[in-house]
Amino acid sequence: MSKLEVDISAKMFGAQKVLGEIRFEIPAGQRVALLGVSGVGKSTLLSLISGTETAFEGRILRPSWRIAMVFQTPRLLPWRTLAQNIALVPDAGGLARARELLSAVGLADAADQFPEKVSLGMQRRAALARALAVDPDLILMDEPLVSLDAASAAEMRRLLTETLDRTGAAALIATHDRREALALADRVLMLDGPPGRLAEDRQSPLDRAERGDPNAVSSLHMDWFGADV
Amino acid sequence: MGWQARLLWPLISLAGLVAIWMVAALIAQSDLLPGPLAVWAAVEREVAEDYFVHLGATLLRVSAAFVLAMGIGSAIGIALGMSETADRVFGGWLVFFLNLPALVTIILCYVWFGLIEAAAIAAVAINKIPNVAATLREGSRALSRDLAEMALVYRLSWTDRMRQVVLPQLAPFFAVAARNGLALVWKIVLVVELLGRPNGVGFEIHSLFQLFDVAGILAYAIGFILVVQAIEIGVIGPWERAANRWRR
Repeated sequence: MSKLEVDISAKMFGAQKVLGEIRFEIPAGQRVALLGVSGVGKSTLLSLISGTETAFEGRILRPSWRIAMVFQTPRLLPWRTLAQNIALVPDAGGLARARELLSAVGLADAADQFPEKVSLGMQRRAALARALAVDPDLILMDEPLVSLDAASAAEMRRLLTETLDRTGAAALIATHDRREALALADRVLMLDGPPGRLAEDRQSPLDRAERGDPNAVSSLHMDWFGADV
Repeated sequence: MGWQARLLWPLISLAGLVAIWMVAALIAQSDLLPGPLAVWAAVEREVAEDYFVHLGATLLRVSAAFVLAMGIGSAIGIALGMSETADRVFGGWLVFFLNLPALVTIILCYVWFGLIEAAAIAAVAINKIPNVAATLREGSRALSRDLAEMALVYRLSWTDRMRQVVLPQLAPFFAVAARNGLALVWKIVLVVELLGRPNGVGFEIHSLFQLFDVAGILAYAIGFILVVQAIEIGVIGPWERAANRWRR
């Protein structure tokens, strides 16, 4: 089995249904955006796939993939330096490899800084480096560009694309931002709700090189969603 | 800030307290309120006898009871904070022991186990354990769920979860429990010694009380306060600063 298979019929929080029918597969190496408004259940779905939430109706078949997650907030240990946060991951290869990974995300000079002493953008990049420490087959990303200023978001988008190109990992990227989804993903899963359910599953007509062109992304945005946003 | 600068204001403040004490003693002109010089003379007199023997005996009891109380209390507090079921079942016990008067525990320990060292130390530890447990329970309840999820996703071992994720979050609560614990434990140790030990500061204060030797009583009290202050300045303070160096 070389694909992730998600088949959820319901996820409840107490009496409240937060997810309804959601079925999809992600083959190895594919980048998939999970697009939906805030509160529709994107983060909950990522939690189910990552295994941090286990109570739901349905099944999720994970191949023997290594799964990493980039959370919406970086979730670095504030009392450990950026390098120590990465070295903490089992089989990460210790501090030497942690420094290499930080260097790959442009943080070579900040390796010995504590998270609270660097910007949010730098913390996000460190969190991405931590995800890479497990040599992931699938990276789950929860709103990876949210709360970043335009320049930091563009830099992070470039870094994500480069990283996924280099590692060949599959990605499931939860976002509420349509342009972000179109710029990053081979395929877009659109959720509506709540409770969140899969409304559409669209393959992007843009290849990976074309997605780096803002005009191509705008054109596709117009085509799929119209000019209202 | 250097250590000299950190010590400056506390020293000025303490000097002020000594000055007020000196003036009060001069006004009172009574053996019941001896001034700093009379107390210093009492210190010199007691040091020539067995001041450090008694101080040492008390310190040993304080250390043993403190270590026991911090160890057992922390384990109970963390368990109650991390398990709602444990807290529902045993939370009432904590309230019971928190409200059990120290004197009752001490007397019961002496009655049940005899006037022995183990009973004395157990009595002090039992008095302090609920306070430590209550403090650490609050700390454990405040543990970050986000970091717990991160540890789960990245498959951190149980040891790493405790050492790298849980215990650092509890560090401020350990510091509060340790600081309050030290202050409380040594006060209870004095009562334990007064009631049933043949040595220690409590025993000696009891003897001096029979003689209405207030200068001698203050000599022992001040000696012990200085020791506890040295532990605060030399051990707890530096540890707390090291544990918090990551903060902005």
